[in-house]
Amino acid sequence: MLNVKEMLEEINASPYEEIEIKTPHTGVVEFVGLGLGDRVTGPSGKWLERPGTLLAHLTREKNKKPICATQKGQVMDIRTELECTFVEAGERLLTIRHFLSREEVISRILKKALHLFVAPERAKYYFVPEIDAKIKASGEQSVKVREGLDMFIVSRMKRETPLSYSGPEGIIYAVYFQQGDNVDGGQPLIGVCPESQLSLIQDVVNRVQGEWEERD
Amino acid sequence: MARHRILIANRGEIAMRILRACEKLGHDFVCVYTRADQQSGHVRLALASGGPKSLYRVSSYQDPSEILAVADATQATAVHPGYGFFAEDYRFARRVVQRRRPLLFIGPSWPQVRDLGDKINTKRMARAHGVPTIPGSDRPIYDEMQALELAQTIFAFQEDQGIGEGCVLVKASAGGGGMGIEEVYDLDSFRSVYRRIRNYAKRNLSDEGVLIEQRIFDFNHLEVQVLAEGGGRSAIHLGTRNCSVQSLGRQKRIEVAPGFDPGSLPYAFDAAGVLAAITRHSVHMALQVGYDNVGTWEWIVTPRGEPFLMEVNTRIQVENGVSGVTSRIRGRADCAQGVDVIAEQIRLGLGEPLGYTQDDVYFSGVGIEYRILAEDPADRFTPCPGRIEAFGWRPEPWLQVFTQVPTLSRGEEPYEIPMDFDPNLALGIVWGQDLAQARERGVEFLRGLVLEGTDTRGEALRTNVPFLMNRTQTILHF
Amino acid sequence: MDIDKRTRELAARLTYIRDIFGPRENASVAMLRIRLEEFLAQATSLGMRELSRQVGLLEELFALLEGKLENELTPMDRVRIVRHPQRFCLKDILENVYDNYTEIGGQDEWSIDPGMLIARATIARRMGKKTVHQSVMVVGQEKGHGQEYRNAGSIKPWGNANALYYMRVAETENIPIHSYVFTPGAFPVEDYPGAAQQIARNLYAMAGLTVPIVSVISEGGSGGAEAIALADRRLMLSHGYYSVISPEGAAAIEGGLKERASPELIAGCATRLRITARDNLELGFVDRIIQEPALGARPEHFDFFRQLRREVVRATDEVVHSVEGLGPLRGMAIRRQASTGDPHDIFVRWSLGQKARAKLVRMRFDKYRAMSRAACRDNRTLGARLYSGLEGLLWAAHSALRHDFLARHKRRLLGLLEALEAEVRALRQGVGGPIGRLLGIGAGQQRRMEVAPEALELLTNLSCAEDCPCRLEDTWVYVSPKSREDHVVTCPNAATHGCLDLWAPDLFGEFAGVCSHCGHHFPLEFQWYLYNVFGFGQAYEFNRELESGNPLHYEGFDLKLEEAKRRTGLGSSCITFETHIEGVAIMMAVLVSPFRGGTVGAAEGEKIIRAAERARLKRTPFILYSHGTAGIRIQEGTCGGIQMPRVTMAVRRYIEAGGLYLVLYDTNSYAGPVASFLGCSPYQFAVRSSNIGFAGPGVIRETTGTDVPPKYHRAFSALSRGHIQGIWDRRDIRKNLHQALLTMGGRNLYYR
Repeated sequence: MLNVKEMLEEINASPYEEIEIKTPHTGVVEFVGLGLGDRVTGPSGKWLERPGTLLAHLTREKNKKPICATQKGQVMDIRTELECTFVEAGERLLTIRHFLSREEVISRILKKALHLFVAPERAKYYFVPEIDAKIKASGEQSVKVREGLDMFIVSRMKRETPLSYSGPEGIIYAVYFQQGDNVDGGQPLIGVCPESQLSLIQDVVNRVQGEWEERD
Repeated sequence: MARHRILIANRGEIAMRILRACEKLGHDFVCVYTRADQQSGHVRLALASGGPKSLYRVSSYQDPSEILAVADATQATAVHPGYGFFAEDYRFARRVVQRRRPLLFIGPSWPQVRDLGDKINTKRMARAHGVPTIPGSDRPIYDEMQALELAQTIFAFQEDQGIGEGCVLVKASAGGGGMGIEEVYDLDSFRSVYRRIRNYAKRNLSDEGVLIEQRIFDFNHLEVQVLAEGGGRSAIHLGTRNCSVQSLGRQKRIEVAPGFDPGSLPYAFDAAGVLAAITRHSVHMALQVGYDNVGTWEWIVTPRGEPFLMEVNTRIQVENGVSGVTSRIRGRADCAQGVDVIAEQIRLGLGEPLGYTQDDVYFSGVGIEYRILAEDPADRFTPCPGRIEAFGWRPEPWLQVFTQVPTLSRGEEPYEIPMDFDPNLALGIVWGQDLAQARERGVEFLRGLVLEGTDTRGEALRTNVPFLMNRTQTILHF
Repeated sequence: MDIDKRTRELAARLTYIRDIFGPRENASVAMLRIRLEEFLAQATSLGMRELSRQVGLLEELFALLEGKLENELTPMDRVRIVRHPQRFCLKDILENVYDNYTEIGGQDEWSIDPGMLIARATIARRMGKKTVHQSVMVVGQEKGHGQEYRNAGSIKPWGNANALYYMRVAETENIPIHSYVFTPGAFPVEDYPGAAQQIARNLYAMAGLTVPIVSVISEGGSGGAEAIALADRRLMLSHGYYSVISPEGAAAIEGGLKERASPELIAGCATRLRITARDNLELGFVDRIIQEPALGARPEHFDFFRQLRREVVRATDEVVHSVEGLGPLRGMAIRRQASTGDPHDIFVRWSLGQKARAKLVRMRFDKYRAMSRAACRDNRTLGARLYSGLEGLLWAAHSALRHDFLARHKRRLLGLLEALEAEVRALRQGVGGPIGRLLGIGAGQQRRMEVAPEALELLTNLSCAEDCPCRLEDTWVYVSPKSREDHVVTCPNAATHGCLDLWAPDLFGEFAGVCSHCGHHFPLEFQWYLYNVFGFGQAYEFNRELESGNPLHYEGFDLKLEEAKRRTGLGSSCITFETHIEGVAIMMAVLVSPFRGGTVGAAEGEKIIRAAERARLKRTPFILYSHGTAGIRIQEGTCGGIQMPRVTMAVRRYIEAGGLYLVLYDTNSYAGPVASFLGCSPYQFAVRSSNIGFAGPGVIRETTGTDVPPKYHRAFSALSRGHIQGIWDRRDIRKNLHQALLTMGGRNLYYR
């Protein structure tokens, strides 16, 4: 049985996520004068069409690109020593301390409550087209899965093989991977909720909605 | 000669070979790597011989901006593309030399890369210089009547040649990668196949041009290694290679130099004559088109001993080493035991003259190159990703092994085969005085090779070593 | 209580006056206010008789000062008048002007668009002792005295579509249309088929309606007005305004769209745009002004409605009279009563005969063709003008001879030859047998494989020695100057599609500005299209001397115009020329965006009309490429706005003559032109990554209060909602155009 209260307390003890902002590619870094403790916001707008707070510029081959915050939070630990230097790809520029939102708390708890179907090996994963279309059209919770259902296409080294689901019957409650990204073996792909437990899950959601207070 | 700093825009064993060639020639180098490729041998070698300042992490090997940004940051003066990635990308070659801060491109000049990179153009240029090519059209056909006429002629031609079952290849001229290509065995079905391909091309490639060629079965795949000096002033060849042992996907697995061995094997045609003809044609064409770096002229030879030029590779190839070990240059002390083709390529690319003629080149013995891969020959050569736990071989004076995989014994930290690249593990090149000795040494090398590991499903790693061993017995048979 | 009611009325009049004059200090208004307050303060202490006297005095004072204030009205005050909830509405007109009516466009909020009112109405006229009820179709925007659901007369696409449907019904029933314009502008949503597309359809259809149309303009704002205002007689109310754009919209554009425009700027724009009835009469865009009472008519002004009734009846009579020969006496009488009498005295039947219907459309075209002619600069010499007139005549004769007369004979001859050839072939194949053998035909028909030596040659030797190697890239005649900069560019789709940065010389040179990964089209200069697609190097440009002017003497605009001309080297945003595509001669008009944003004014309209006429004469296809247009040039006011119906009519004439009118959109095309002569084409295509719509996202947010999705105006959205017919890759335009020439268009193309 799920102990939501305990889990919430556990999360409450460390309610932050540290997000490392890294350079997407090489280039010369210029910070924009943000200081320690400054507040930044993530993308906003109905379609997330407005980018988050500008953190730095990265110039490569005379092309100056903005690097923006991906989440709301507070700036910690800026590597100002990199100012105006040429950095490698994937270099950490700064860290944002992000206070978990309700949705994130819910998904953390659900990750423990749901049946997780994990990737058998490191590869790229895709949904089969029928399921993909269904998810795109009416959301992931519209898809019912059962043992043996052909669900995924596993792509590695340019070869594709099908992968079928195994585990309890239920609906997909959460999707944990990006289509086309590499997923390590053992990482969860989807979280499945057996229909008998739907009310329990709903209860978790309601409790978090009520008890978790979002902070900046 | 001026000291250069050469940026090596590649990974794995070729990056290592280029790096060693740079050191040998006294040039500085800069290497790049990606996060997924941190364990690769070229990273270790660069750190060991150039220090941290000679190694940069980039987001991708395939992003030209990354390569050039690193080149500028490190004040590199030349770029070596290796093979794959940018090696035959004329836009990259053009950008390298035309940018505000130009670099030397170690490879042919970009118009060569462009013109010879296109198969139709290569065919046209070859025909213009009297070099034999596969019978068929040398330009996209747009007219049905003309296509029909051409197919009819090819069928008749094959009949003339005594080929029992003629076959015509119809392919979309703008296509590639096996899409929009079909074989036709008789004239009656030609029209419908032609229309299907044309409609496919029109819909998917928005160009309804179609190529029509003779399909050749059971051919041998030969190559001529050409070295040409800047401006097309002189060109020589380093002999021929036979690359006929291939996987199902037409990927080469064993390469042998020279291309045929008429001394020890019987052939149904004048094999020595064929080798002479293809080297003559290749060098002639290189001179005529003004070729200016190393390159490979790829030929197919039919069972009746007719050579046709298939394409030109405007880059250094994986199998350059096998030509190297069988070639010698008079008057060059460093080439008494073989020629380092990559070092020669760098010299030429930096603008040095060739310094010798064809008369100074002579050949010695037989070389065999094995490509060792994590793949399952029994299952359609499916790649077999995983980790390598033990890897090693016994050094021999007649053996060279090129690999990015560290030599490992069980218990050491295993090597993860990166998934984003071809599952190439190592190249082993053996040399023997004659074909018999080379084969013997090849088998000896493969027997002594230690290569063990686990695949991603936890089973024993499968490699193509048994397949290579098996095929060693029949190499150069035709 | 009578006094009570009268005071309340006075208070309402004062409120109205204060609404109209806004925050401005005005002595007369202040005086009215003080007097009324004084009166109200002492009212309780006054006797009945005194009260009545005082109210009477006050009423006189109001009437006097209203008359005085009338002369002080600024254009912006008039805008406030027509938008005031107390102003009369279309319902009031139906009640007071017509004798009987039935609403057919829905009722109140139960309507597809409650802002659009459609009704069948009758006007009773005497004919001797008989009374004749003459039917009309009434369409117009209903503001409903501020009823929320009427949306202030701002019409959604389906409202305009419904109006169009019933105008067509009127055409079927052969009754006149009376349209009443009470709109600040169309509601700028792009739902099916899109605001712009629907207005374009309305304009195109109205240009050819074969019944009299009389429009009355109270508030005529932007494209929304044009959707029903195209008419044979255009009457304007003295306190109305008719403008290409609302003053607020103009101010927003002038002010740079960043923040809300100040009231002063809005008022300034209202004045500069010359939007009043008098202005429009002077400029020739309306035929007559209907005088309203001081400070504008309200529902209680019954005299005004009587006058309005006289005017619409007279206007309808005039239209009918102009196309249908009336008896000489009645004609004379109508002319005479034009200034004085009541039109009801003379009966005119409003249904038209076949001939008259055709003439009506012709006259409507001529009427609009003549408008705004003086609003552009014609720099041609007298000789050149004479020559071009003569050239037109010659071409007309040439086309008639070559394409009608000769072609008909040639076709007949060819038909004969074809038949003969087919006979011979039939003889060869079918007859065969003894006759065939006898004649020696049919031999050698058997298929045999044999290789001629020259055929073998073909298989192994170079097929065409002279052109080796054959390359397809680097074939651009014009290369963008952007390709000379050594830097990289990020594709806007990089985040979603993973496109790598592109090197500018590759991107703007060989790739023709197309992202090699996702196909996004970066904007390119109009010269790229002129030279690489339309063969401008070999083209013949005409009417270059027609240049944009400043017809309204809009303050500060002369300088801006000179600057645009200097910078682009063009006289207007439109280039018209004759060129060839794969051997087919075509007429081109190009709207170029660097010249004042590709806006369309009188010069551009005139050039497009002349190009359409030229294409009609020469029987060539007519292709309009919009390299980008921000809309109608607002500084030309109605001179610009009138190009919407004008050019649409010219284009319709061309299409009906059997030509091919094809529109190709690129970069950003918005507003008036899309809502008229661009949007009316049956063949509209877009270059990839272009945006098409009525109003930009900022304007939509301002008017509708909702945000639009980021890709709302993308070509793919326009394709899905049925506005355009296809999306082309920039590098394939020439090929696609050729394909279009082969498959689209009417009967009268010379190459058919």
